[in-house]
Amino acid sequence: MTLPVVVIGLSHKTAPVDVRERFAAGKEILPEILARLMQKPDLEEAMFLSTCNRVEIIAMPKRSAAPEEATLLASRAIREALREHIGASSTGELADWLYERSGDDAVRHIFRVASSLDSMVLGEPQILGQVKSAYDAAVAAGALRSHLARCVRRAFTVAKRIRTETQLGTGAVSISSIAVDLAKRIFGDLSDSTVLLVGAGEMAEASAKSLGKGARAMRVCNRSFERAANLASAFGGAAAPLDQLEAELVISDVVVTSTAASHFVITRDLVKRVMKQRKGRTLFFIDIAVPRNVDPLVHELDNTYVFNIDDLEQEVIENMKARKQEVIAAEAIVETEMHDWSAWARGLEVTPTVIALRARTRGMLMAELERTLNGRLKHLGEGDRAALFQMMESATNKLLHAPTTRLKATAQSSDGGDLVEALVDLFDLPAVLDSVESANDANGANEKSDTTSARCQ
Amino acid sequence: MNELAAANVLFVLTIAAYLAAWGIFLRFLIRGKGDVGKLGPRLMALAAVLHAGHIGVASFVASVCPVGGIHFPMSVASMLMCVAYLARRRHLRIDVAGAFIAPLALTSLMASRFVGGGAEPGERIKSLILPFHVTMNLFGLALFGLAFSAASLYLVQERLVKRKQIDGVSRRLPPLDALDRAEHGFLLAGFPLLTIGIITGTIWSHRVEMGAPGDVLRAVFGYVAWLVIAGVLFLRSAAGWRGRRAAYGTIAGFGFTVLVLVLYLVRSEPQPGAADASEMMRLLAAMSAAPARTTR
Repeated sequence: MTLPVVVIGLSHKTAPVDVRERFAAGKEILPEILARLMQKPDLEEAMFLSTCNRVEIIAMPKRSAAPEEATLLASRAIREALREHIGASSTGELADWLYERSGDDAVRHIFRVASSLDSMVLGEPQILGQVKSAYDAAVAAGALRSHLARCVRRAFTVAKRIRTETQLGTGAVSISSIAVDLAKRIFGDLSDSTVLLVGAGEMAEASAKSLGKGARAMRVCNRSFERAANLASAFGGAAAPLDQLEAELVISDVVVTSTAASHFVITRDLVKRVMKQRKGRTLFFIDIAVPRNVDPLVHELDNTYVFNIDDLEQEVIENMKARKQEVIAAEAIVETEMHDWSAWARGLEVTPTVIALRARTRGMLMAELERTLNGRLKHLGEGDRAALFQMMESATNKLLHAPTTRLKATAQSSDGGDLVEALVDLFDLPAVLDSVESANDANGANEKSDTTSARCQ
Repeated sequence: MNELAAANVLFVLTIAAYLAAWGIFLRFLIRGKGDVGKLGPRLMALAAVLHAGHIGVASFVASVCPVGGIHFPMSVASMLMCVAYLARRRHLRIDVAGAFIAPLALTSLMASRFVGGGAEPGERIKSLILPFHVTMNLFGLALFGLAFSAASLYLVQERLVKRKQIDGVSRRLPPLDALDRAEHGFLLAGFPLLTIGIITGTIWSHRVEMGAPGDVLRAVFGYVAWLVIAGVLFLRSAAGWRGRRAAYGTIAGFGFTVLVLVLYLVRSEPQPGAADASEMMRLLAAMSAAPARTTR
């Protein structure tokens, strides 16, 4: 048995940047999106992940129906949510761009995404932080509570293992570093160039790190001047407010844009004016923002070049070639973790049976003890009665330890269905209609406490 | 006879070296194989040495000054172009420009040998100004050849980048900025030499009989070449004509200088007995874009 996790989304592999930017969502609107998702009657848990290269909804269906049907209903609910998100007229409009994973495939996908194995730039460290942010937002919104939360936390562990045990994350690997490499390769030696970073977020910081002291001068232009100044001072550059963008463009040669703006910050008309003032000196834009910051029409102007995040793909292929061996090692770790996860998930199937068996055994023993204590042993004091109850608890535990362990082991190594049926027959246990649902109830309290601690992972 | 055989051997070896260098550069450009930063330039250097040897031995055989006639000037110009490329390739990061320079040098060398041309200058017009005039034109032509190579590569790279085909060939070409700077640098260096060539040619034209349509055309093209190159340099600094526009201008300017040379090479030979020296002077005057003077 596998957990019916469902992932539906789009990435750089299925949709171009002009499509992805329609789906992208900033942190400020995540609570609203998650609240809408939680209103869907077919979804038990959900998480919304939005990065430069992917937008995904990861969800656990409600188990009110058979697993296959529940998955189908959840899939429809997610597609409907995505449709509402971009304001499309029908879910059919999105079909060409979306991919869907369910069950073990979905869990494997989550592990691979968190480990950057599905990223455009293999080994890039930003994705783990982005998944964690999405997780935190979902937990805060009450959209992640149980098994899905556990699954995502497991993905963090997988990602950490891969970073520790392989060389996948070694070296300068990030969208920003690749963008800077592209600028150097196409534009030329940056030692004679002024590099302008438009935006002062994580991507801009990564760009600044990649540039190092390679550029003649570095400038940072941002809506918040304070953030621009902080970033600039950290890397020995100069800062400017966004309203001085035109003047900054006039004196810059390479521009890396990564703001969270939902519209073009750099338009064709602006660059046209700038190029007149620059007397035709080449201006090179690398737009790593999603939604894009630079109007693609700017690329049509003379001596002006615009490369967006999708255009970095060729550079990325070179990056992938260099990391082929590390990818093999990382994929092996994912498979090991998948094996463990599947075993745990299969274990969930026998949990209700174990609980029922314990309840039956304990109930019978306690009932007999109560009867005896009310009869022949009614002279015993409170202390002795407590000792007897304790003895019965211990006896129950010892008696059921071996069968429970073996049942779980059998369930993890293969399908424990036969043993469950045998136990139900032998001990006249109540039929378990929905094992996962029961396990949820049983583990609920533990999971809630786990999610709180997981934020620190 | 021994010197003649040596000249021929050197000629063949020079061609082989240019071809080998060209092959190395093309293999790198098209298939991305080979070390273009080492083997290609080394073969070019070998070719340039053999080329210089050929010029020296051939001059000895012909007993003429290398800068006196049209065959040798062409050959010397191409050799100087290779030397200038080898001297500047590292600084300008234009190793791969050898893919253009090698065939240019080869074509020039072959043309100097096999394409018809004028005779050596006669005693009547020989003067101190002749070697100076020819040398200036030679250096200028060599530098324009380099500027042409950089401009051509710029246009290829620029087209690939505009189409965002930045893998493959684009990856192996020099960066746009490096090509633009190299093109401008070579053009800037060659322009004063061309200007001196024009001035000396203008002075000279007063001593040479000119008036045939071919002569006039060559002179006109010489002036046009000067104007185009001057225009490219002026517009770059005054109006920001860089990149693609400058590259087209550079190619046009180089094209006109080559046209002057080609017009000379395909000219009809004078009747036997005609003053061979005056024909040579016509060529040299035309190369430096001297104005036509109707004397007939």
